[in-house]
Amino acid sequence: MTAVTAAAPTDTTPAPVAGAPLALPSGVKPSPARVLPDRTRVLGTYLFMVADAMVLAAMIAAYFAVKDGSSAWPPVDVGVGTYIPFVITITVTMAAASAQWAINAMRQNDQRNVGIALLLTAFLGVATANVEWAAFDKAGFGVGDHAYGTFYYLLIGFHMVHLVVAVVLLLLLAGRSLAAHFTADHHDPLKSGVLFFQYTNGIWYAVFTVVFVFSRVHG
Amino acid sequence: MTITDASPGTDTPADPSGSPGEPVEIDQGSTAGTDHKVIGTLFIAASLLFLLVGGALAAMMRSQLSAPDMTFVGENTYRQLFTMHGVVMVFLFLLPLWLGLVTALVPLQIGATRMAFPRVHALSLWLFVGGAALVAAAPLVSDAVGGWTLSDPLPVGPEFTGEGVDLLILGLIVVAVSAITVAVNVLVTVLQLRAPGLTMARIPLFTWSATVSAAVMLLALPVLVAGLLMLFIDRHYGGLVFTGFTGSRGGNPVLWPRMFWFAVYPLLWALLLPALGAVSDIVPVFSRRRLFSHHRAVPAIAAIGVLSFAGWGSEVASLRRARPLFALGVLLILVPVASLILNWLATAAKARKSDDKAFKEGMQSLPMLHALGAVTLLGVGLAGELVAGIDAGGQSHRNYWGVATQHTLFFGAAFVGAVAALYFWAPKLWGRHLSEKLGRLQFAALVGGMHLAFLPMFVLGIQDMSRHTGTFTKSDNFGPANLVASVGGGILILGVLLLILNLLVSVVAGRGEAAGSDPWGGHTLEWSTTSPPPADNFRVLPEVRSETPLLDLDQSERTF
Repeated sequence: MTAVTAAAPTDTTPAPVAGAPLALPSGVKPSPARVLPDRTRVLGTYLFMVADAMVLAAMIAAYFAVKDGSSAWPPVDVGVGTYIPFVITITVTMAAASAQWAINAMRQNDQRNVGIALLLTAFLGVATANVEWAAFDKAGFGVGDHAYGTFYYLLIGFHMVHLVVAVVLLLLLAGRSLAAHFTADHHDPLKSGVLFFQYTNGIWYAVFTVVFVFSRVHG
Repeated sequence: MTITDASPGTDTPADPSGSPGEPVEIDQGSTAGTDHKVIGTLFIAASLLFLLVGGALAAMMRSQLSAPDMTFVGENTYRQLFTMHGVVMVFLFLLPLWLGLVTALVPLQIGATRMAFPRVHALSLWLFVGGAALVAAAPLVSDAVGGWTLSDPLPVGPEFTGEGVDLLILGLIVVAVSAITVAVNVLVTVLQLRAPGLTMARIPLFTWSATVSAAVMLLALPVLVAGLLMLFIDRHYGGLVFTGFTGSRGGNPVLWPRMFWFAVYPLLWALLLPALGAVSDIVPVFSRRRLFSHHRAVPAIAAIGVLSFAGWGSEVASLRRARPLFALGVLLILVPVASLILNWLATAAKARKSDDKAFKEGMQSLPMLHALGAVTLLGVGLAGELVAGIDAGGQSHRNYWGVATQHTLFFGAAFVGAVAALYFWAPKLWGRHLSEKLGRLQFAALVGGMHLAFLPMFVLGIQDMSRHTGTFTKSDNFGPANLVASVGGGILILGVLLLILNLLVSVVAGRGEAAGSDPWGGHTLEWSTTSPPPADNFRVLPEVRSETPLLDLDQSERTF
């Protein structure tokens, strides 16, 4: 980069008079490469969630396309109880509340409560995954028994995979917050992590509606 | 480097060997492994490698079809050829070519020092390489048939147990995820890291088209991922989404083509969009004036992105009742494309009136020649798509008319637009001009070969030759058009080889003419830094007061 040599003196040249033809010293220094504008990570998380939600939407669209072509949905010999789905939904709701507690505590710079809330959220996440495992275990049908079974495992499994990722993220964030990495003004990683977790909870509500509510609606 | 001493002609070419100048602080976050220009270049290199693979497959198919009753390859081999040719060309060539060009150029065009997430960008590259390797390994493991849409037939059931199809499905999932991560990265970069003063309405049209293209990919590719995932579950865990239809237990056999085309029809437009954006940036520079109407081009490009979701059903035979709706979708999308073309032509026409000599020089430069070549292919392709659109879901999608349209529009125009971009931005990205002599020869072979190869396919479409025909007899009368297409295909491949040779000689071997920071008299921010730019792109940025910040700087030196 020979040309860079020429740049050295111009950096100190005073800005030109207004109205004079623009010449570069009045130019602006680009912001240093390591600094990201606020909320860039959060925006990235949002866009990733949009893509991920399209995966879910496509699966749900496929669910309804297959359901509409079936004579009975779910097949007559299949009964899914109400107990397990409601236990999951309640646990998910509690986890959503405790994740929000972490964010509120962060806004007040209460590091201790952030840590506690994140660990509690992670625990509730693991509990949810555990009940989902029971839902697989006690379903009484497999992936290949009928199309409803395929979607049952696919959609609940989709939520479970997100849950596992979210729990790992929450534990990392708990560690970072206990190490005082975040402040009330700067906690984009925490925001992003909690955002992803809440999105995961949103996936559950969608899956619950589709797999358990609409399986009872016969068209 | 400042703009004042960067005006055309006065500037010393950057010395690629480097010499001690002002100490350059290289940020840890933008060293070579995460430098968007390096990653972009590697994406481009990978895509050209797969262009050779896809081209070789096409060469074998064109040899088989060059005359009646050929026995160059068997029927099963031919099915694998067209399957892999389609998959490789769309997902392993055109997709990474744009992922590379876009990520290499967009931060430069918006005055950013980096991509928003440089390490995610690096991850995308290596995901792509891994996924592409899986796809490329597929036909080596077992027969990969079914066409590039995986729907003729759907590879599920006892006769499709080969692991090659698994590799194909998993590889495509990984490639799609890679493209999605790039799309997120591009969108966040454009939304967050623009230079001061560079409002969204002022960003260069290539960047804008890349942004729209990224948004389309962000919404379309996940659907492909979901479809492929369910296909994999159907194949491996006895899932019943796409297979069966036995009363209440089975799946929906017409679902797969709908999911595939819902994702891939917009994807094809998303892969053409950056070409339209590149031409929109190139035409004004060589016409030595601003684009005829920037504020009409911006919504036109956005409209192409939105409307690309309206035409997918035209490719699906089973959607008979919705045909008029999708036909309307296809017809509507042609309107903004036509408006863009008129915009370019108006720009060039205005230039011709004012100064004949400068006009001639500009029109004959290689980037501009390729831009015009892309326009000819666009014209033919749009005409083809017009007919295919009216015939939504009909015969023209199953015979060579559809093949001809897709090749002219989504391969021809998109690829030639990318080549124009390569000639235009190679001096910026790599500090070297591509060879002029080789370039002219390559232009003639590439664009001429494309027209010679694809125009006869329209004839074959009228003769109703099925798109998957692997052999034909004399009485079919397909001979003459196929022979011309095969000769054209040969010339086209020569053009591809010349392009790669040109890149190897001029850039890789460094024998191209060294480029100054602003060799073309560019309008946009990337031309205000050195060629090639430093790791963090800019030492200083000009003030941005319009969509052509560099024109605002040296207005006195140019005529408008």
